[in-house]
Amino acid sequence: MKERAIDPSYALIIDHESCWGCKACEVACKQENRSPDGIKLIHVTEDGPRMVGDKPEFVYRVNTCRHCDEPECVEACPEEAIVKREDGIVILDEKACVGCGLCVDECPYDAISFDSERGMAQKCNLCYERVDNGLLPACADNVCLAHCIYFGSPDEIERVMKEKKVSRCA
Amino acid sequence: MSKFEYANIEREMEVYGYDSVVKSHCRMCHGGCGVLVYTKNGKAEKIAGDPDCPINHGTLCSKGLASAQLAYHPDRLTHPVKRSGSRGCGRWKRISWDEALDTIAERLLHYKDAFGAESVVFGYGTGRENEAVIYRFANLFGTPNVLTAGHFCYGPRIATSILTCGTNPIADYENHPRCIMVWGNNVVISNPDCYKGEPFSTALDGGAKLIAIDPRLTRIAARADVWLPLRPGTDAALALGMLHVIIEEGLYDKDFVENHVHGWEPFVRRVEEYPLDKVEEITWVPAQKIRDAARLFATTKPAVIQWGVAIEQQVNCADNDRLLMFLMGITGNIDVPGGQVLFKPPGIRNVGHFGAHRMLPDTQREKRLGGDRFRLAGQFAIINPKCVWDAILEEKPYPVKTLFFISSNPLITRGNAAEVYRALEKVEFMVVSDFFMTPTAEMADIVLPAATWLEMDYIGDFWKRHGYILPRRKVIQVGECRSDHEMLNELGHRVGQGEHWWDNFEQALDWILEPMGITWQDFKKMDYIRGDLLYQKYETRGFSTPTRKFEIYSTVLESMGYDPLPQYREPPESPYSMPELYRKFPYILITGRRLPGFFHTENRQVPWLRELHRDPVVEIHPDTAMKEGIQEGDWVTIESPRGRVRQRAKFFAGMDPRIVSAEHGWWFPEKEDLGHGWDESNINMLTDNAYKACDPAMGATHVRTLLCRIYPEDRS
Repeated sequence: MKERAIDPSYALIIDHESCWGCKACEVACKQENRSPDGIKLIHVTEDGPRMVGDKPEFVYRVNTCRHCDEPECVEACPEEAIVKREDGIVILDEKACVGCGLCVDECPYDAISFDSERGMAQKCNLCYERVDNGLLPACADNVCLAHCIYFGSPDEIERVMKEKKVSRCA
Repeated sequence: MSKFEYANIEREMEVYGYDSVVKSHCRMCHGGCGVLVYTKNGKAEKIAGDPDCPINHGTLCSKGLASAQLAYHPDRLTHPVKRSGSRGCGRWKRISWDEALDTIAERLLHYKDAFGAESVVFGYGTGRENEAVIYRFANLFGTPNVLTAGHFCYGPRIATSILTCGTNPIADYENHPRCIMVWGNNVVISNPDCYKGEPFSTALDGGAKLIAIDPRLTRIAARADVWLPLRPGTDAALALGMLHVIIEEGLYDKDFVENHVHGWEPFVRRVEEYPLDKVEEITWVPAQKIRDAARLFATTKPAVIQWGVAIEQQVNCADNDRLLMFLMGITGNIDVPGGQVLFKPPGIRNVGHFGAHRMLPDTQREKRLGGDRFRLAGQFAIINPKCVWDAILEEKPYPVKTLFFISSNPLITRGNAAEVYRALEKVEFMVVSDFFMTPTAEMADIVLPAATWLEMDYIGDFWKRHGYILPRRKVIQVGECRSDHEMLNELGHRVGQGEHWWDNFEQALDWILEPMGITWQDFKKMDYIRGDLLYQKYETRGFSTPTRKFEIYSTVLESMGYDPLPQYREPPESPYSMPELYRKFPYILITGRRLPGFFHTENRQVPWLRELHRDPVVEIHPDTAMKEGIQEGDWVTIESPRGRVRQRAKFFAGMDPRIVSAEHGWWFPEKEDLGHGWDESNINMLTDNAYKACDPAMGATHVRTLLCRIYPEDRS
């Protein structure tokens, strides 16, 4: 197994099985980050409906920065405006961004937006200032009525999600 | 139960340097959630859910989170205005509150004197918890006419539940229902009435079985163990079919039926008229699926039905509500933990008492508009909107001269919008109290600036049936905005009702709370009060109905001259009731699916909420779209026998291709013209409000299903 360059202390994990598409996370993010109209740092989209065999399928997908282990956006940025911290959070420094848009093209998850008015890239910085002050990111701070957005240690989240899955199917 | 990660309030205060945090109670919708309002320099800076609140456990929806953006919106009305020029000319003059209230008082008294108090009609929409105070004012003034959404929203549940079992049975999510049947409801988007998406969601994560009754594949339907995609408007037939299975297979609670039900024998005979093959033909749902759902619901205990407004905006309104209650009742799920509980409210002066219904003289009550036609509605002080428009336009049975709308936008929300427009154009005097200059407010003579929930003290959920009351604490003041309660208290003094009102509205709150031996100041220090929690109260006291039984055969409806047993009526405009029309209008249009961020006509000017959903969207099956030459994202024309509107097409494969699903509540605050595009995408340009298309008992307008055609906008 490949050794991780950085051992992430944090992860933001979304349990898509539970998500209802209510978009409270989108507005909680707006309230905290005041991103401009049209720029969504977290974005809920529909997947389906479609028939899978004889079972109809329809889920919501919540898209936001994955804070990748080896972020392609960091590699792509000529200005070193995007950095991955020791704790795993990938931060885009708006002040250092020159608006070349290369990170937007490189992101495999389509999780970086371009603010054409201000000429800069925008993405979820995982509310790092809140995290550094012992607070949860806005979207994960118990807004979600489905309790489907988790923030914390990846192993712990895995465990909670597994428990939830078992109890859901009990 | 899930473990909740609670908000760290102290840390939040420190880090952001907030001055204070106020616990309050949101009112961005018909529900109400506990909230925390963080303030800085006297301004509301951040809104969060209150983790200690038993209603929402700290979670909060998009609307609640955006409350401050609404409160501080630059377009907010912040002082009273009067029209200077002809009706709807869009020119307004700022006036003082004194001038506004004096003028209104003088006009109200003038019309009362000249045409009788009944010529003055008050109205509210889904309400800012102003229901009780508006009824109080109207009853004391002597008018029996308060036009609300009550004919087709929540009012029917209250009326029919009082008839059946004494009060509205509420899903007891706290005690782990093992089966949830969601019937025409998207609780996770709308958070309606006494229910919130959060406890529902938590119950599902706890392993509850799920049955979904919905023509559309919502996410709830996609997660369901059984999904019944019924033909729109056939809910009553489907419920009768399920009851048929439960009775035929002996899956009902025999003890409950034997000891606590009135009218079992005739009811069984009625249900026998709905065998499954017939129900399948009516509902388009395969008989086996109906059987599966009925068995699952009847044999999994405790079970609840998550119901709501969709089944009420139909010609079968009252019977739909009753049938779902019968499903709850005969399966033994009424008033048991984890079932459907008849919660007791705290011992305060209740909404009916505060509403002063007994102060309305009988001679005036008899004049209630539509009271002889829609007799169940009349009994509950509810009127059908068309009765008001007719009284304005045709002066029958008497002229209505004044409309006073408080948080209501009937031009968008009521059936047959073109007729509503004509009535608003003609009425002699109209007052509107609201947050913004809505298309309805643009037609008024005087517009008053109403306070949001952030700007008032009140007893939250005063009117609800879940057994809680929660303090709504004033956090901010915006301009000269006043709560509807304060406004009507002031106006009460000016129309000679002074003895029945108070020096200030805080004294009214004291009066409401008095039987509990507390004042508003005491209550303000509490998180909430819950009524006594007792189950199966009927074992000792019976039900609060004329027979003391669970009335499946309604003695009250019988005495009013209605069928005491439930029945299915074919929707007034359907492929079967109007086959000729169906050839020209070959799709079933359903209206009003719920969207995050909006509350009926509200919030389209709030940036964070409009960003969630920019345009009115009509869902159309991809096969249908191909047939009609419609591309995804096209603006299309939806046409009914009554008119045309435009919405944007979105492909949606999760419904029968014969169904088209349009949104309701649309107007465009950003449009400069005076109507703000009220008739462009407003689905009520298409709906019918004819009396014969309304529920015969409740007067519910059948706005949810009709026939339409749909085509690209450039092809007329």
